[in-house]
Amino acid sequence: MTLYLQSILNGVLMGSVYGLTALGLTLIFGVMKVINFAHGSILMVGMYATYWVLVVTGLHPYAALVIVVPLLFVFGYLLQDIVIKPVFKAERDVREPITVIIVTTGVWYVLDNLALMIFGAEYRVLTTSITGKSFILGDFIFNKPKLYGFITAMATTLILYWLLRYTKIGKAIRATSLDRDAASLMGISQYKIYNIAFGLCAATAGIAGCVLVPFYYVFPTVGVVFDIKGFIIVVLGGLGSMSGAMIGGIIIGLIESVFAQFMTATWTEAIIYLVFLLILFIKPSGLFGTKQDW
Amino acid sequence: MKLRENKNIFHVGFLGMALLVAFLLPLVVTSPTNLQIIILIYFYAYLTTSWNLVGGFAGVLPLGHSAFVGIGAYTSTMLYIHYGLSPWIGMFAGGIVAAVAGIIIGYPTLKMRGAYFALATIAFAEGLRVVVENINNIGPLVVNGPRGLLIPLLGNNFLHFQFLGKEPYYYIILIMLLIVLAITYAISRLRIGYYLAAGGEEPEAAQSLGVNVARYKLIATAMSAFLTALAGTFYAQFMLYFYPKGILGLDLSFEIAFIALIGGRGTIAGPVLGALVLRPINEFTRIYLSGTLPGLHLVIFGLVLILVMIYQPRGLQEPLSRLYRWLLLRLAGPSPKS
Amino acid sequence: MLLEIKHITKSFGGLKAVNGLDLSIDAGQILGLIGPNGAGKSTVFNCVTGVYPPTSGNILFKGEVITGTKPWNICRKKIARTFQLVKPFGMKTVLYNVMVGAFALSPSPRHARDRALQVLEMLHLDDRKDVLAKNLTIADRKRLELARALATKPELLLLDEVMAGLRPTEVEEMIGIIRRIRESGVTVFVIEHIIKAIMALSDRIVVINFGEKIAEGTPVEVSRDDKVIKAYLGSDYVAA
Repeated sequence: MTLYLQSILNGVLMGSVYGLTALGLTLIFGVMKVINFAHGSILMVGMYATYWVLVVTGLHPYAALVIVVPLLFVFGYLLQDIVIKPVFKAERDVREPITVIIVTTGVWYVLDNLALMIFGAEYRVLTTSITGKSFILGDFIFNKPKLYGFITAMATTLILYWLLRYTKIGKAIRATSLDRDAASLMGISQYKIYNIAFGLCAATAGIAGCVLVPFYYVFPTVGVVFDIKGFIIVVLGGLGSMSGAMIGGIIIGLIESVFAQFMTATWTEAIIYLVFLLILFIKPSGLFGTKQDW
Repeated sequence: MKLRENKNIFHVGFLGMALLVAFLLPLVVTSPTNLQIIILIYFYAYLTTSWNLVGGFAGVLPLGHSAFVGIGAYTSTMLYIHYGLSPWIGMFAGGIVAAVAGIIIGYPTLKMRGAYFALATIAFAEGLRVVVENINNIGPLVVNGPRGLLIPLLGNNFLHFQFLGKEPYYYIILIMLLIVLAITYAISRLRIGYYLAAGGEEPEAAQSLGVNVARYKLIATAMSAFLTALAGTFYAQFMLYFYPKGILGLDLSFEIAFIALIGGRGTIAGPVLGALVLRPINEFTRIYLSGTLPGLHLVIFGLVLILVMIYQPRGLQEPLSRLYRWLLLRLAGPSPKS
Repeated sequence: MLLEIKHITKSFGGLKAVNGLDLSIDAGQILGLIGPNGAGKSTVFNCVTGVYPPTSGNILFKGEVITGTKPWNICRKKIARTFQLVKPFGMKTVLYNVMVGAFALSPSPRHARDRALQVLEMLHLDDRKDVLAKNLTIADRKRLELARALATKPELLLLDEVMAGLRPTEVEEMIGIIRRIRESGVTVFVIEHIIKAIMALSDRIVVINFGEKIAEGTPVEVSRDDKVIKAYLGSDYVAA
């Protein structure tokens, strides 16, 4: 029994980290109505950034946040401004901004392979002050990095929620996501908002990077795993819903962790894809998403 | 009009010459390595043209087409290894399995928005890959999980779809490519082509004009899946080895889609042009640069895609075909003014 | 009666866009449907053409129940429509656009082409047949929309604000075109805001507001109806 409860615990902890990685994705969809296929690669950038900051400075992994988050924000801001904006503008009136999807897929390719070129294919592992450590509470083992990850994930969600609800910028973002033309008539520069939103998205990826490095391998294509899982989580939870992303992430984490007791890891992967396809077929708007016109 | 007749004559002439060159090429290019490169170019041109039936004509973005390649390869190879069924027949069996799979996956997904459809195709292809990697055999049929399947080398044996030299493979894939181009051309001129284009651009309007958009998209998907699977068998018989990560992988799906997009989806020449331009770049950067800078060819690939999408979203075929038409006009002679 | 709309109601969530509407059109008529913005006019069209089924009620065409029939089958039954916001196949030529409609008559590309050219000539668009639809003026786009629908050789044609955005001379032309269409044997059901046009065209007019019919009759009768004046101009004008 304890074994199952432990696996549930692990699932929730890891799931919250998955949710954290998916936050940016759902945010971007909510604002720009675009699915950013490059999200996993931005996460990868966040992980490498964290890795190198830690290697160079030897700081506590969470201290690296101070450097990584602003860095990633700028990276995301520029990426949107330089690469994605031109395509988005050109597709303003088209029913389906497919070209944007294509471009973000291109960015995915470029980033992943640049990382391959620059850093090499080796799987890097960093042993930090918290790696491999755990808290023990009664019969249960709380893996330290994952526990910190859980806390960070919740904190980030709350901060983002506060940001969107109560700050001027946040309200501007929400206005743009509801009706971009109306918002721009109110003096909100649409594209500046997109830049900021993208920057925020990258910043959360940076946070996720800091969370992951203490216990996850760092390699050029690490983003792919999280990218696809991110899509699944975001569709499951409902595109545009942050709480949906968290809950979706936890569900995925639970499936992985609990099913791993019965089958190999690769089969749990297959189950997750199956769940994804089922959601797409049965309730594409996800658990908390708004009904879109299909 | 004399000008139009002239233009048509030159147009047909160009195509005829291109055909002649294609058929005579193996006499000039004798190095097996180079021939292999060209065969793979045709192979990708075939794949992208088949992809185009859904991604171009039907107006959606399928990013999981490798699933059909894999279905084709695995079906024909499994039937061959276990039952001794000639791959020529197994090829068509694979096509049918793929078509059915396409319809099953297409039925619920084709109603979805672009991004969701793209995600669904990725999930389908990756899901299939993961499942195949986990299975060792389906009953008596060997699947062999992640290790893939090897086809026993038999040398020259037509019935078993194997040849020692590269030339026969060259002609087979060339003919397959020509057939698929002919099919695409025919579709574009027939009602189905018009309906697909209409349904892809303005589904509501198309429906009011009598087009059951969903049904036509499904038909296009089934055809595309069938044709793509045939290429899977070709690949299997050409390379005599394949494995899930390669033939069912995201890399292949993306490459097919990217080439078609860069070349110009929705047009007949686009995918072929894309393959003709990008595959050699791919091969050469991979051969000469991947030692020092692994992944560079993919970076270039991605950059080209981004640049093309920003500046020429209709693909490279647009400026190229403008150039071609200008050329035709010059050759056909200017029409006398007034 | 060619078309019979029997007490249809259409609810979207809690909102009743159409509420117990009864309406009928005889063959060869031009029936106008007018009403303030948001009255439910396009909703009626969408119910008839199968975009969505009415929540309750029935629609009969030539005595046959067509409620809930899908749009492509509605076209087969010889009912065609245009859209308020025109939806041309922008990346294709005018001829291509109309051919899509013409294919409803026969799968042969040659026949479709002939039919399309015929319709284009009738609407004076044939000189622009090779122009890409996205490059047309708004007036021409409206005509293209009309041509496309006509190419399917409908018996009943639903026109949704086909004159919106046109200049007065263009409106006059369109009135003439619609009259010619009726003369060729097509029954026309028109939604329009331009009062002058609908008065000139319609044999009968139905006025709806908040999804309900508030008046019906000849153009003259309707223009004098108190309820209609109130709905459009407010109670202050009723006395006149």
